[in-house]
Amino acid sequence: MTRRHYNKMAAAIVLILAFGLPLVVRSATYLHILVLLYFYAYLTTSWNLVGGFAGVLPLGHAAFVGIGAYTSTILYLQYGISPWIGMLVGGVLASFVGVLIGLPTFKMRGAYFALATLAFAEGIRVMVENIDRLGPFVLNGPRGLQIPPLKLGLGNLVFASKEPYYYIILLMLLAVLALTWVIARSKLGYYLNAGGEEPDAAMALGVNVARSKLTAMAMSSFLTALAGAFYAQFTLYIHPKSVISLDLSFEIAFIALIGGRGSIAGPVLGALLLRPVSDFSRIYFGDTLPGLHLVIFGVVLILVMIFQPRGLQEPLTRAYNRLLDRLAPGQTKELGT
Amino acid sequence: MKARTRTNLWFQLALVLTLGTLMAWGPAVPVQAQDVVVKVGNIIPLSGPSASVGLQGKQAREMAVEEINAAGGIQSLGGAKLVMLYADSESKPEKGVAEAERLINTEKVHVLTGCWNSAVTYPVTAVAERYGIPFIVPVSVADKITEQGFKNVFRIAAKDSWWTRDQFAFLKDLQEEFGTKVSKLAFVYENGDWGKGFAEQWKKLAAEQGYEVVLDEPYPSTATDLSPVVQKIRRARPDVLMLVSNAADAILLTNTLAEYKVNLKAVITSGGGHADPSFLKAAGENARYLFDIVEWETDINKPGAQEANAKYKAKYGQNLTGEAVDAYLAMYVLADALERAGSLDPAKIREALAATNYRSGPGMIVGYDAVEFDETGQNEHASLVMVQINDLGQGLERITVWPKGARRAGYTPVFPMPAR
Amino acid sequence: MLFLIEDAINGILMGSIYGLTALGLTVIFGVLKVINFAHGSLLMVSMYAAYWTVALTGWHPYLALVIVAPAMFVFGYYLQDIVIKPIFKAEQDVREPITVIIVTTGVWYILDNLTLLLFGPQYRTLQDNPLRGRMLEIGQMLISVPKLWGFAAAVLTASGLYLFFQKTRLGRAVRATSLDRQAASLMGINQYKVYNIAFGIGTATAGIAAVTLVPFYNVFPTVGVLFDIKGFIIVVLGGLGSIGGALLGGIIIGLIESVGPQFMTATWTEAIVYGLFLLVLFVKPSGLFGVRYDW
Repeated sequence: MTRRHYNKMAAAIVLILAFGLPLVVRSATYLHILVLLYFYAYLTTSWNLVGGFAGVLPLGHAAFVGIGAYTSTILYLQYGISPWIGMLVGGVLASFVGVLIGLPTFKMRGAYFALATLAFAEGIRVMVENIDRLGPFVLNGPRGLQIPPLKLGLGNLVFASKEPYYYIILLMLLAVLALTWVIARSKLGYYLNAGGEEPDAAMALGVNVARSKLTAMAMSSFLTALAGAFYAQFTLYIHPKSVISLDLSFEIAFIALIGGRGSIAGPVLGALLLRPVSDFSRIYFGDTLPGLHLVIFGVVLILVMIFQPRGLQEPLTRAYNRLLDRLAPGQTKELGT
Repeated sequence: MKARTRTNLWFQLALVLTLGTLMAWGPAVPVQAQDVVVKVGNIIPLSGPSASVGLQGKQAREMAVEEINAAGGIQSLGGAKLVMLYADSESKPEKGVAEAERLINTEKVHVLTGCWNSAVTYPVTAVAERYGIPFIVPVSVADKITEQGFKNVFRIAAKDSWWTRDQFAFLKDLQEEFGTKVSKLAFVYENGDWGKGFAEQWKKLAAEQGYEVVLDEPYPSTATDLSPVVQKIRRARPDVLMLVSNAADAILLTNTLAEYKVNLKAVITSGGGHADPSFLKAAGENARYLFDIVEWETDINKPGAQEANAKYKAKYGQNLTGEAVDAYLAMYVLADALERAGSLDPAKIREALAATNYRSGPGMIVGYDAVEFDETGQNEHASLVMVQINDLGQGLERITVWPKGARRAGYTPVFPMPAR
Repeated sequence: MLFLIEDAINGILMGSIYGLTALGLTVIFGVLKVINFAHGSLLMVSMYAAYWTVALTGWHPYLALVIVAPAMFVFGYYLQDIVIKPIFKAEQDVREPITVIIVTTGVWYILDNLTLLLFGPQYRTLQDNPLRGRMLEIGQMLISVPKLWGFAAAVLTASGLYLFFQKTRLGRAVRATSLDRQAASLMGINQYKVYNIAFGIGTATAGIAAVTLVPFYNVFPTVGVLFDIKGFIIVVLGGLGSIGGALLGGIIIGLIESVGPQFMTATWTEAIVYGLFLLVLFVKPSGLFGVRYDW
């Protein structure tokens, strides 16, 4: 067998596992945790288009989650429009806002960009908390919006069980991973990479760095907003402090850095490590030693950053390649085809 | 180069999903079969900004359950013991929902209680409803919680329209008793679910009862300096200031009001931060003469109340608060319902809870006479008392003043407040 | 009119204290080129240190400075040496040490929640300190005395830092490192030791801020978060790395927060602060008083 066969086999196993999981995991608890895990992996993958490939650190993606969640929820509650349509409307709105915020901020680097996006998201949160209604749209200020779980079904994106949510977010995650994979190989991907590492050199070579970054930002915010709408339908309640929170923005960045930003599977790996750490440590220590779970979270964060500053994907990829070398030795050349 | 990345992708995907599977199979909590136990899941904020109030709720529940279990548990279930499971919501709806799912599906709890933050309670009521698990809400004041048409929600405490109604009734009685007229009100409240809910009711009541509202000011709970808000109060010259605050801002506001020597006839607060045990310690003399609305006070004239408070204080080092007492009572209401249900079937427990008519027993140390739920799940008898903070020679304490029948013997409220 | 003057004075005083809390942030950024997300937590730790010093010894609250500032210097010095330095070493060839930001956030989570575990969620204030509630009355105007001292502390600390960086040998070495770390190490300056010192100084200024806050403010585990975001806004407004800028940035925020509510509800002033912040970023990204760097 060649390496390609092994790779295909691995992929097939992964997909079968992912799709078969709900048949084995009957517990809604774990499905719930898995749904949120995929949700975070999805968010981080979308974030990665800007934060990973374009080489900046956005710390305000919760703003786009909020835009998606609020748009679809308002359209659903007030006009009975299906969240699927609301999701897309929210996405378009978010990508518009994303470009608007990207235009001036992409000129900045590092710390300034991080702080600008952070302040932007916080500004949006403060606005939403202060506005009870915006023209005809009821935002309900700090009190948030609740979706009554009455009309179930795919059209309304409300289900009584976890399985449908699981498959929807899984498909969304696979789609965004595939998209990232395509982009990483496209001209845009190369431009972004070049612009992220050596913007001046890239510009000298005629790469329109600013424009490719804006394109990435538009896509990233669009995709993020879709997840926001999903989140609203999944928890059936949104309020500014939960969907536009600093914690959410930070967690996305944590996951990306732990997994390895700029790589395709980094976000998924990061989510696989950090989400269970945060969930299970809260479950086991939340009642007896309040706060300990967040201490553990911080320690894990620091340890991974000290010992694997490029994220977990690096050592794991190396290990996998070594495994393949043993299974299919001497076939490295074939890979190029 | 190209293929290498592809390899990575496949590999990484494989890894991800394997790990996912392992994780999902990993921890499973063994259920003991031999003894019948009643599992009670409690979702409260144990870390984050509301940790202080979450801790009190936990301690009150613990004390009640220890008593119930020591007294032989649930007789109709063969002396079954109550087992408490606590989950930390961090005051975040998302965590609350995840914990509710876990408590119901994995821990197989028979009853849920919680969540103090209304923002967490809303989505959790929906989870409880979906699985048909009875959900007892000791305190979360938003009206909406029991107005969703859910069958499994039971709230012990009063809802916010009752809190505000009683605050205004108290204000009216106060004016009659002392012959001092109040015409101008100022509303200052935290800009959240809770504060906004109160303010909405206040404005309605003020309009109905002919008060002039001279200031209607929400402020962010995270404010580091509240002197600008205090200046606004000072310049609006209200007769009475009404507040809704969390703990940090309650302390800051009370101290700043004293610093700026704002003269008011009365300050009426809404529990929460003003009822937090650390509030009196931190605000000290500045909190004197403040009127707070609560559901319970240590000096209440009910059998067992003093003893319960003394026991709590010996155990945890501070007085029981109104909110903690609701949690305490909630456990006894639950025990009573379980006794009558004689079953661990959530549907039976729900039936029993709905038929509750709890009038006496060790949990009945509250100001009202009974716990009976109406069809929305709201305790019809929940009522409130007003207390005044004053120093009668033994340090600052909270003294019940209203309704008049419940007033501490020999105490005359101080109204209007002496000028600073 | 008198109202506005009174509000403006309060705004300037409170704002200078905000500036004081943010000074450490700007010092650390100026040298390490890193936003220290744990700065609020370091302020919180300092506040606990100040609180316990005064509560246990019964000293005048400001006397706690002699313990808190040196203790926090040592704390910051070793925090950088043990936790942050390894990442700098691993990321030597990277232009922007983004991973360090994440590590400081980890430190934030750890410190805040360890404090919760150790001291519980209770709110604490220094009850009987001589500064509590002291007001200066000028006609109808009321000015808080502890805030006035806070203003003095902020100005003194900022000038002290300025002189340190301009006039002393060590200060110049720190500045040299901030301009070009490679060149500085070639000149025989130990880059990492300079980082430790800068981090220590930044943390010690958080200690000074804590001592001025404790007489009139509550101490609780999440208190740092309230000052954290404010600090970021202040340092960007003033120009990251600029000491005078931090002070002025703080005063601008203080003025908006204090004068703004007289024209709108207090919650909207927050939105104005963010709006102004973004405006400054877009128009003059180097901040109002910053130097234009390439980072």
